[in-house]
Amino acid sequence: MSRTLALVSALSVLTAPLQSQDSLVARERRRADSLLSTWREAQRLADVADSLERVRATAGSDTIAVGGLRIIVNPSPLPLREAAERAWPVIDSLYGSAAEDLPRYPYIFRAVDPDSGVRRAVLHVGVEVPWDLDLRAMSMVLLTTVTPPDFDAALADWLGAALRPALRPQDERAAVFVQLVTAPSEAVRNCFLGDIARCKDVLQVGDSTGLLERLYATPAEREALVTGSFGYYFASGATAPSLQRCRQHRDDACSALLQSLPPGSLPGPLAPAARVLLVREALGAGGREAYRRLVATPSASIGDRLSSAAGIDLDSVVVRWRNDVLAARPRPLTLPWWAGFAAIGWTAFFGICALRSSRWRL
Amino acid sequence: MASLKRWVLVGLVGCMALALAYVPPRGAKSSGTTLFVGQSRQGTPARQRAQALAEEWRNADAAVRLLEDRQRVRGNSFRTSPAIVFRGATPPPNDVRNVETVMDSVWRGLGLAETKVQVTLVIELQRPNGSANRPTPLQDRVAYLPPDSTHRTICMAYLPAGPYWTLVILGKRDARHEGFGRLAQWLQAGLGPCAFYAAYGTPGRPVQNWLAARNWDLGLYLGSHGIAGERFSSLTLLGDPRFAWYWEGVYSFSPATVACLAGRPSGCRTAVLAGAAEERTIPIASIVLVERRWWQTQRLLPGERYLGDVARTVGRDRFLSFWTSSLPVDTALAAALKRPVGEWTADWQRGFVAPIRLGPAPPLGGVAIALAIAVFAIGIVTATASRRQIR
Repeated sequence: MSRTLALVSALSVLTAPLQSQDSLVARERRRADSLLSTWREAQRLADVADSLERVRATAGSDTIAVGGLRIIVNPSPLPLREAAERAWPVIDSLYGSAAEDLPRYPYIFRAVDPDSGVRRAVLHVGVEVPWDLDLRAMSMVLLTTVTPPDFDAALADWLGAALRPALRPQDERAAVFVQLVTAPSEAVRNCFLGDIARCKDVLQVGDSTGLLERLYATPAEREALVTGSFGYYFASGATAPSLQRCRQHRDDACSALLQSLPPGSLPGPLAPAARVLLVREALGAGGREAYRRLVATPSASIGDRLSSAAGIDLDSVVVRWRNDVLAARPRPLTLPWWAGFAAIGWTAFFGICALRSSRWRL
Repeated sequence: MASLKRWVLVGLVGCMALALAYVPPRGAKSSGTTLFVGQSRQGTPARQRAQALAEEWRNADAAVRLLEDRQRVRGNSFRTSPAIVFRGATPPPNDVRNVETVMDSVWRGLGLAETKVQVTLVIELQRPNGSANRPTPLQDRVAYLPPDSTHRTICMAYLPAGPYWTLVILGKRDARHEGFGRLAQWLQAGLGPCAFYAAYGTPGRPVQNWLAARNWDLGLYLGSHGIAGERFSSLTLLGDPRFAWYWEGVYSFSPATVACLAGRPSGCRTAVLAGAAEERTIPIASIVLVERRWWQTQRLLPGERYLGDVARTVGRDRFLSFWTSSLPVDTALAAALKRPVGEWTADWQRGFVAPIRLGPAPPLGGVAIALAIAVFAIGIVTATASRRQIR
């Protein structure tokens, strides 16, 4: 009997840690469950609070409706209706029929005193704007903060920016022209000279296989990319010797380093403005339904989406883009005929003054 | 004298003309370029409370998962390298084998084979976002459950894969581009303190207390090459010293950390031994939850590799004597290093980063120009004084 008792006691002592472990898990599980139920309650309360806050923030506000734009704002001297009337045609021309969906994304503004010394209430809903904005500035705010309808992440990643109306279309095209003629890239130069396949490469809308060699075609370009843009990235650790060899004009080392970059991190030789312009071109070619077609299939490749939006094949879209960019060549600076004489005259005047001055006498 | 008066008059008229041109009495119109800074939106207090509770639940849930997994894996694995458990999704057998192969190679690279403390790596594959019913589980922080009195030979590591590694592990992203090395680096970093437990066993109480007080910030990475052989460290995340944000980053650390970066042994000593004097009771199942932006809260840069480098430099025997010592940490560490802790650490840091300069640092060109102007001014004054005649 005593032996059985001893055995039971020994067993209970031996299993004690396991029991305590079980109870620990159970205790932690109970704690997690309790937190979960508290969170659910807090979440419900937060939903109610957010909803009330939204009502509170918009209570006593005016709602201005112009076309598909809906602007909810507290009473202020802001010229919002006029600004919306200016902005709406521009927004409508970009998004076409999709602009009808914009009432789903109303602007909520809080007009506030521009004086930074005035204390403002904490902002939970909407965007603050100073009430002294003029018509032009307010129109700009509307154009630059409009929510592109159904804009997906894949398109945003490729574009590098949200698709919004152009503020100065001619300047944007001219900027792309300057990129096209100044970017230190063989591919860009070939695109400028009319090679549409290279244009697709530099716009990153074509096949991405072997893109590195096509985007940065010469050893000098690859070396410049590694030592310039990625010099700091590769400078420490195991890649430092390869960077050193790349600096000594060893193309194999430069290529290997660039190949080791994660996909998507290879910078294109053209800035996002060039791709934004391409999308605008596709939308311009495709008519009022173009934007809807562009955002209809987020899983498709960018090239297919652009082609579908434009209603023509991708090569034609790229050709149109190139023609448009070439047509936007900035006008060379022209000086009036008398400017040269004026410059020489002033130079002569100061020269004579200097020659005729007397020495300082102390 | 008359000539001088004339020139003074000309000077005054000139000044008035300039004043009229630049400070017109009609007043000036605002250029309209005043910078207005709008507030960023904040969640309502109720929403912030819900978010805080969600965060607390995530931590508790991760702890429960680790505890449950520890019970489950007890004695189940026959692998010498860490057992790997996938949660959130079940990868195909081929992908599991690939990850295990990489892990085996990492393990061998660390010079480990069969160890007393068995490591289990729980890889949490990306789950869909949380439903209305529960928050998203912990997906952006690494957690560890070191051995304790109930499980003396199991160390659990919880490694959320996030969207990127989930795609790689599930074979949905072309592994050709990712390279074998990157996955290996990620898995190696994921072992965290468990790698130290596997390599050196359970630390003595002073070391355990010290590391627990610092949330294991000095033992997050047991590398095989030492700091100089690795590409990244938390120091890299500070960026390029040529830019302002590098200095903003530097001065966001504690004074001791900055002093150590400047190569001052006293600062290094304080940075390393912080927490060593704290007396605390380590609870059973003490979860080590690495902070979300752990590199911004370090007390030593790059602290995550410090103990790994100490171990590699002093050798296994000396490191073990420190690791299991019952002496105070500063004494045990200095004995293992055979040098004062501050000096060794300052030298270690100098080995891979040039000490920063604290205090004013005028550029050489600026100093030269300032000196030249000063010499010029003194010369003119001297020349003037020497030509002065008194009649």
